[in-house]
Amino acid sequence: MRTRRATAGATATPAVAPARAGIAAAAVLLAAPLLTGCAGPTDSATGTGGAGATSAAPTATAPTGSPTPEPTSTAPAASGLDVPRTNADLAAQPPQTVIEPVRVEVPSLGIDVAVTAEALADDGTLALPADPDVAAWYRYGPSPWSAAGATVIAAHVDSLEYGLGQFAQLASAPAGTLVVVTGDDASVAQFTTATVEVLQKTAVPWATVFDRTGAPRLTLVTCGGEFDYSTGHYLSNVIVTATATATPTG
Amino acid sequence: MRKIIVAGIAAGALVALGGALPASAADGDAQLSVLHAVPDVTVDVYVNNALTLDDFTPGTLAGPLALPAGTYSVAITASDAADASAPLIGPIDLPLAAGGNYTAVAHLTPAGDPTATLYTNDISTIPAGQGRLTVRHDAAAPAVDVLAGGAAVISNLSNPAESVLTLPAGTVSATVAATGTTDPVIGPADVNVAEGTSTIVYAWGSLEAGNLALAVQTIDGLHSNPGGVPAGEAGLVATNRPADTSGLWFAGLAALLVVGAGALSTTVRRRAVAKSGR
Repeated sequence: MRTRRATAGATATPAVAPARAGIAAAAVLLAAPLLTGCAGPTDSATGTGGAGATSAAPTATAPTGSPTPEPTSTAPAASGLDVPRTNADLAAQPPQTVIEPVRVEVPSLGIDVAVTAEALADDGTLALPADPDVAAWYRYGPSPWSAAGATVIAAHVDSLEYGLGQFAQLASAPAGTLVVVTGDDASVAQFTTATVEVLQKTAVPWATVFDRTGAPRLTLVTCGGEFDYSTGHYLSNVIVTATATATPTG
Repeated sequence: MRKIIVAGIAAGALVALGGALPASAADGDAQLSVLHAVPDVTVDVYVNNALTLDDFTPGTLAGPLALPAGTYSVAITASDAADASAPLIGPIDLPLAAGGNYTAVAHLTPAGDPTATLYTNDISTIPAGQGRLTVRHDAAAPAVDVLAGGAAVISNLSNPAESVLTLPAGTVSATVAATGTTDPVIGPADVNVAEGTSTIVYAWGSLEAGNLALAVQTIDGLHSNPGGVPAGEAGLVATNRPADTSGLWFAGLAALLVVGAGALSTTVRRRAVAKSGR
């Protein structure tokens, strides 16, 4: 139960495993042709930092919109300073209400997974549900309804227990693919994919992936690339960056 | 335009953004916030003899101001003063270093006289999943303990000292009691120790006047990030999988699953029988 191979779960679901395997096999059939398409980007995308193109637009950070509840300060023109003021009383602090994502769908790729709020595993990596069909939202980072920053939602690409995960399809997402996130209050946020990168895990700029500033965007993460059969880990992460669409209405 | 904001949280988000400003301001500037923690008196604040905060009321936090490094003279006057010549507090010199983050607090001494203290805020990075909680004693009161969960987490804190804790992110129910006692003089009060954020709590007011209170300042953007996303373990989509033709790959996959399942159940059985499975 440390991190891998949940033995208890395996024994509890022996009957499900073959069915899962069947599904997994079918999914592999679908994924197989795409994998060659994925293999290309593996080599090229590492060098061509597409991330710069997508994260380089912190257009609406709104730093000038500082809260100034007291318009009475007319005089400080003397020093040219307009200093924001806030009520510091403990009871006056704004409640930390965050709409949490509970579902991610990529209709054109057949992805529809539940999302749970997760923090960190013991080793400091993002904690992920064992089931690849349940994705993790990094709860300390932005949510799709935050004013700024990257919402990070990740899921296992596969599992020894459950087989292939739906996020395996992400590697083949063409630019402009619609991603729909549903919040725990039934809010819906829509994004369109901008880039799909396959980056060596040792080279992933995590500060960029988990960036809490800049334009609101969605970052979907899973594994891919080569697999180290001796350690049981993939060597790369598949990172999909999607930008918020104008309005979800319609 | 590309923002999707639910109206209800927009206001809160703005406040959060305001809190984020210091971390993202111009390089080299010092950040100065000012907290008014002297009960019952509205004041004006002069920086280098220029009126900077007019009609500044108790319990209000102003700033942060981005200021070039240097030493600033701050004088705090009655709100009807014509200039800084007859201050209630100061003038005091505030030496601000480049890139530093400071809070100047106008408060009472333990004896109840107005004074001011310049605190240096710790804006170093906080480990992922944790928050920094700083408690500053700025009240006309003796030394105190801060208790959480019935136990003292800060002991013998005296005016104007501070104590800094790094805690797992979450809400802390805290009480303030005279040192060595557990009878609260403030609280219990819920303090949100937000992840990646410095939360600074000021105990201010006067014990004798019965107006002790807690004020809060937050500085966000100090977070660390997860060190990775280990998101696969079976190699089902590996680009270096053993065989590239579909038929062979399916055979391999089937074998893998069978072997995997076998290994798992074997392991379980072994564990059930003997203690050291491997």
